[in-house]
Amino acid sequence: MSIAIQNITKRFGLHPALRDVTLDIREGELIALLGPSGSGKTTLLRVIAGLDFADARDGRIFFQSRDVTDLSAYQRKAGFVFQHYALFNHMNVYENIAFSFRVLARSKRPPESAIRERVSELLRAVQLESYEKRLPTQLSGGQRQRVAFARALANRPEVLLLDEPFGALDAKVRKDLRRWLREFHDLTRLTTIFVTHDQDEAFEVADRVVLIDKGTIQQSGTPAEVRSNPANPFVAGFLGLAETSVARIPI
Amino acid sequence: MPGATLIHINNRQPLRATGDSLAVRAILISATLAFFFLFLLFPLVVVFQEAFSKGGAAFLETFRDPYTRHSILLTLFIAAISVPLNTVFGIAAAWCVTRYKFRGRSFLITLIDLPLWVSPVIAGLLYVLVFGAQGWFGSWLREHELRIIFAIPGMVLATIFVTFPFVARGLIPLMQAQGMKEEEAALTLGANGWQILWRITLPKIKWGLLYGIILCNARAMGEFGAVSVVSGHIRGKTNTMPLHIEILYNEYQFASAFAVASVLGLLAIITLILKTRAEWRAEQELRASSLSTAP
Repeated sequence: MSIAIQNITKRFGLHPALRDVTLDIREGELIALLGPSGSGKTTLLRVIAGLDFADARDGRIFFQSRDVTDLSAYQRKAGFVFQHYALFNHMNVYENIAFSFRVLARSKRPPESAIRERVSELLRAVQLESYEKRLPTQLSGGQRQRVAFARALANRPEVLLLDEPFGALDAKVRKDLRRWLREFHDLTRLTTIFVTHDQDEAFEVADRVVLIDKGTIQQSGTPAEVRSNPANPFVAGFLGLAETSVARIPI
Repeated sequence: MPGATLIHINNRQPLRATGDSLAVRAILISATLAFFFLFLLFPLVVVFQEAFSKGGAAFLETFRDPYTRHSILLTLFIAAISVPLNTVFGIAAAWCVTRYKFRGRSFLITLIDLPLWVSPVIAGLLYVLVFGAQGWFGSWLREHELRIIFAIPGMVLATIFVTFPFVARGLIPLMQAQGMKEEEAALTLGANGWQILWRITLPKIKWGLLYGIILCNARAMGEFGAVSVVSGHIRGKTNTMPLHIEILYNEYQFASAFAVASVLGLLAIITLILKTRAEWRAEQELRASSLSTAP
């Protein structure tokens, strides 16, 4: 599903978190929102999910051709993965993953056999078969995040939003999960946006990198484009590249 | 052998971060224990001892008295109305101040505590001023033949006022510490507000909620001041257990007074046990949820 973000502005009190952001995301893209902390990248992701709302009248958000600007998160049903997993600790792994079916109206809810099949399929996909009876507190960080992925994917969302999904994990697990995400995306071509402050992560995983600072998009392009041709001093500085134009700025 | 005890204490706490000397700690611990026995445990023992001072038969005889029976039933009745209402109010208030950010939010949190720092007698008088015969709604109530003051509705209102903070105060710190990521996750998974409350939030807070309900109930049954002002002390009509105890005592029926008091005392002990258990479970849950956010 393609996503169109048009002229989105969002303030927290007096502090502008997003200023007039416009971004088009094509169907099947894997996009990284990259920027320092406080840049507004997480806010943008939450506005897309419907967990935060843009300031009134300014902008619109479209999923495909559908205007979702005024829809709540539970109507948009974008798959969302949080940095700290946000698993339901009082439910076992199976019930966590089945949750999006449990809250459906009875007429729309698939039979238990279909739910069971879907949960098993997802547990296989995230390599956690035989864990369905475990409670989240009995899992490692990496395992928890894989359960969170499975839960977000259960009811087949058309877009997957990831908020620093590997941020809380240690280096080895992070590398594995990164690779897993890239392979998963190659397999499914599910439109995916993930937020990160780690440029290696962004460049290794994403089709396209969107650099954000101070609530505005600084540059958007493939990893190669951004690396070879940083658009402005911020991008060059953030990526740690020597940028010739920096030297040309008159002092 | 006091020396051995002190060494024992010392061994159990090898890290003495505060640097208090043994003597200071021994004095503090014994002062605390002495205070506890003298002012808390001893009176409770006396209540039970006095209750049975004329023997078990006299003790039971107290509870055959219709006025005593009525006071017990009335106390249960008032608690049965005010505790569920305050549970709902408390959840709503805690939800409101922890889930939304709005102007006047911290003022609202302070306001929730208001009944704790207003004297219950004042609270009772406020209701008399508002609903009494000479009060704001006095004539309107008289025209419609409604009695609130010196009747059960006023006692329920006074009890609700006095016990309002307990559930909300138990929940607010817990809900603040737990955050709302799970609720947000449920929202993106298609759950509506009602489903989130029942399936996510209530299971998350259940022990903290139980803790608040227990305290609320204990206070509702033991409340004296506010209820005393609005009740009018009509025997067999508007006397709750605490009010009935006072009347019995004033009439020199000491054994009966203490017998009824021992029921309240028993309630306090049960409350303490349940409360400790709920507190312990709430702590466990909080620890589990904070562990789950660690890497």
